Amino acid sequence: MVTLTIDGVEVTVERGATILEAAQKAGVRIPTLCHDKRLVPFGACRLCMVEVVARGRKRTMPACFNPARDGMEVTTSSPDLIKSRRMQLMLLLRSHPLLCPSCDACGNCRLQDLVHEYEVAEPPFPKEQRYFHIDNDSHFIRFNMNLCVKCGMCVRICDEVQGVNELSFVRRGMENEVSTDFGRPLDCEFCGQCAQICPVGAISSKWLVGTGRQFELRQTNTTCAFCSLGCTLTLGLKSDKVVWVSSPSDSHNEGNLCVKGRYGWPYVYSEKRLSKPLIRKNGRLEEVEWNEALGFVAERLNSIKEAHGGPSLAALGSERLTNEEAYVFNRFVRTVMGTPHLDHAGGYGYAGLVNGIAPALGYPASPNSINELRSARVIVLLGADLTETHPVAKNEVIRALTRYEAQVIVIDSMRTRLSDRADISLLVAPGQEHLIAYAMLKEILDKGLFDKTALALRADGLDELQASLERYTPDKVAAMTGTDPEEIRQAAKAYAEAAGSLLVLTEGMNRGSTQVLCAQAAANLALVTGRIGKPANGICVFPEKTNGQGALDMGLVPNLLPGFRSITDEKARAKFEEAWGAPLPSEPGLNAGQILEKAAAKEIRGLYVVGENPLETYPDRNLVKKALESVEFLVVQDLFLTSTAALAHAVLPVKAFTEKTGTFTSSERLVQRIRPVLKPGAVKSDLEIFTALAALMGQPSMTYSGPEAIMDEIAGLVDVYGGISYRRLAAEGLPWPCVDPEDPGKPLLYEGGFPGGKAKLLPASVPQPAVGDALPMFLIPAVLKFHSGSFSEWSTSLMEVCPEGSAEMNADDARSMGLSDGDSVRVIGADGSWITGKVKISRRALRGAIIVPQHFSALKVNTLTRWNGPAVRVRVEKA
Amino acid sequence: MEDRDALLKKKVQRTVEVLPAKELAKLDEVIARYAGKAGHLIPALKDAQEMYGYLPMEVQHRIADGLHVSPSHVYGVVTFYSFFTIMPRGRHTIRLCLGTACYVKGSKEILETIVREVGINVGETSQDGRFTIEAVRCLGACGLAPVMMIGEDTHGNVDPKDTLRIIQAYE
Repeated sequence: MVTLTIDGVEVTVERGATILEAAQKAGVRIPTLCHDKRLVPFGACRLCMVEVVARGRKRTMPACFNPARDGMEVTTSSPDLIKSRRMQLMLLLRSHPLLCPSCDACGNCRLQDLVHEYEVAEPPFPKEQRYFHIDNDSHFIRFNMNLCVKCGMCVRICDEVQGVNELSFVRRGMENEVSTDFGRPLDCEFCGQCAQICPVGAISSKWLVGTGRQFELRQTNTTCAFCSLGCTLTLGLKSDKVVWVSSPSDSHNEGNLCVKGRYGWPYVYSEKRLSKPLIRKNGRLEEVEWNEALGFVAERLNSIKEAHGGPSLAALGSERLTNEEAYVFNRFVRTVMGTPHLDHAGGYGYAGLVNGIAPALGYPASPNSINELRSARVIVLLGADLTETHPVAKNEVIRALTRYEAQVIVIDSMRTRLSDRADISLLVAPGQEHLIAYAMLKEILDKGLFDKTALALRADGLDELQASLERYTPDKVAAMTGTDPEEIRQAAKAYAEAAGSLLVLTEGMNRGSTQVLCAQAAANLALVTGRIGKPANGICVFPEKTNGQGALDMGLVPNLLPGFRSITDEKARAKFEEAWGAPLPSEPGLNAGQILEKAAAKEIRGLYVVGENPLETYPDRNLVKKALESVEFLVVQDLFLTSTAALAHAVLPVKAFTEKTGTFTSSERLVQRIRPVLKPGAVKSDLEIFTALAALMGQPSMTYSGPEAIMDEIAGLVDVYGGISYRRLAAEGLPWPCVDPEDPGKPLLYEGGFPGGKAKLLPASVPQPAVGDALPMFLIPAVLKFHSGSFSEWSTSLMEVCPEGSAEMNADDARSMGLSDGDSVRVIGADGSWITGKVKISRRALRGAIIVPQHFSALKVNTLTRWNGPAVRVRVEKA
Repeated sequence: MEDRDALLKKKVQRTVEVLPAKELAKLDEVIARYAGKAGHLIPALKDAQEMYGYLPMEVQHRIADGLHVSPSHVYGVVTFYSFFTIMPRGRHTIRLCLGTACYVKGSKEILETIVREVGINVGETSQDGRFTIEAVRCLGACGLAPVMMIGEDTHGNVDPKDTLRIIQAYE
């Protein structure tokens, strides 16, 4: 620690902190134009010059990249410094047009603020005007390089944080500008970070041009509703319409957003949104009033229940419901509908957590938080293509990799942007990722790269684990997977010996059944090397959609009650029966796959689907279609008339995340508020629909005064949510477990040990064969960063950047089949079902694999995927 | 500003020339020499320019791909250093000094002669691909002013009237 004085204020900071950081800590403001806490100091603007007296010598230096030292006396404002800053500003104004009244950045311009603060009037120099054309060719983003002040923040954030390096300084002197190669339009992640970080109006959002300026906008913080990272969004409204989205720099995501968060929201204004309920009359869906629709649904559900019993009904929830809605839906399904058959996300949004992490560690949740990634020394991406699935978490990996020189080990079935930059990249066939983890574990156990005594105190099951790993030596696994045994050994050694090692996994429809095996292997690796319960050590699991963790916490699964209590646990059941005033089913229900199978067999007669589009996203499309067409009564609750809703007997339109109150729980267990900013038309929130239906179906006691009251009830019943209330969530989120109203929550799980006393090492499983084992190629259903499930197809902006998907193939495979870019191919599964798509030759695909994105209703990749089996094999022919 | 835009567009389009695949494949040897090493972009670009005489878009893209750097970064480097050129050069590069000493000794007249006779201005290449003219600040031989270099040959004490005769010797 070093102590220094800044403008007479004494402050102590960590060694290595800059004078600027020390000043921020001391509460002294130093003006900057090229500084951002996410970036490596650059020293371009020279506005942060300060006078420093150290060892009796007075010097002037930039505060942003000079480290604070013991005994320094810093002056941030003196006549000389003010003169120098004024000179800097005047030099900038020499070539900066003074068109502030018409500039979109007016009022949100750091240059304008500083010119105002330092009272710079007419500069004494002649103007030197630049003439760059205004570039509107890129999606979302407009370049007007005449306004650029060369702070380099856009170039740096694109490189240092996003890891994309799409923007660069090109040419020299007065011709110097920020651009791409040969001035082509952007072809990048479209995260919009460059537009947000620009201190002037040189890079800006096209949507704001002539629309509104910062000071005209009413701003509200809420939580992003796409992926599970739970980034804070600031919605800017003008005339009650969202026109701009950004993220505050003091949020846990530090202002970073991806394309979906920043530009994906226009779906809330889609003209295709349903405005009135629909019910099927004479074979056609017709608009009706709410009373009629709710009465119809209640009557039909009740009549099936009376005729065939509650278990003839089933329900599919969603990872997009808020915690409160998921909780009430759980109560509605299990008490009012009276059925145990409840699941969500095809069972794939949580399988790794429930069957992999929970049996080993205790909670079905990610033990570590996202920001820990940047402090890890070794990061193992176990089948986690974060660039596409969770771009903001990818930023943390990029920062660890480039700024803190962490080692990155990628184990995946395709080349990813991160595998190109990784120290070790082990590329295998789909469904084999966990084998590499087994081999690493075997190597660590054999070489004794762990503390055996400490492990015995922490976890049981070492002997069984060792026995089960017999056949997974690095050599054998290397032979099975076609990798280099030496690289596996290096990976094992790096992982075991690093000061901080994090494993990263993702959950979701694209991960197939391998996600459970990967999660088990990851838990074993972390346990054996003693990495659980320590910061920057452990496991990060990222579910697919926004409330993946919350849906699980609220028990939207066949065998769990809210708070992960088993439905077979009599005491837990009794507690909920008392609170809910109704008996609960005592046996676990069917999972999503089984529900649809039984529905196809007409054993399930009524199906209630909320916020999900099984026809497009669940595996085995033909089965799903048959099931949805076979049920006597199908009710779908959604914003849009999805392909599933088109088959329904009743469709209930709901509010979007911008229109309702609630909480989402992110993948790092952070419970955060969403806030209503828009007034929708005649649609209701999911919550209002559940309570209204409960009343109509004879359970009038299921009324709540609002989401706040529901959170209070959850806090009373679910231990880990015990201390969470809307009052406490007003300013920022709380990470569970948060057991009482004083508890600040735990960003890191298991710091004080495991809930069951000891963790459990799970033995390695015998590999399952792939679906269609004899076929020559693997099918990889992939995620694209521009999309989320099938839902993002309703977002005009995301469809503008990425309107369609193609079947990505390796150049060698394509050549051997005589295919070239744009050719149509037929991808055929083991049972003869097939899809067609256009070929794109891509580096991402390894030999023998074809990558098809899962988001597009035009591609229907779920025709070929199945619930069981770690991977799908197909054959490909020219169509 | 429209004129300028049109000019910029014209310049960019000129660089999109399709090299035959066989020619382009020669680059792989250069890439293999430098791939995987940090900070070897400039030597790789230098070798490539020696091979093709200039660095068109395809060459830059191929190098970016091979060295795992972004094409924007490559373009930034290429446009920063005056040594690199995106446009094809003539067979002979005329470097005419316009520094103070040469200027007063008549290099302006030499330049005017070239502009008039060859039909190109500073920074341009003649239609027949014979000459590229560059104006330089100093060649370090002020005693020989006015100085002009053609390729590797230095011509000192050039009489503006002799300009045409000198350059005609280069085919």
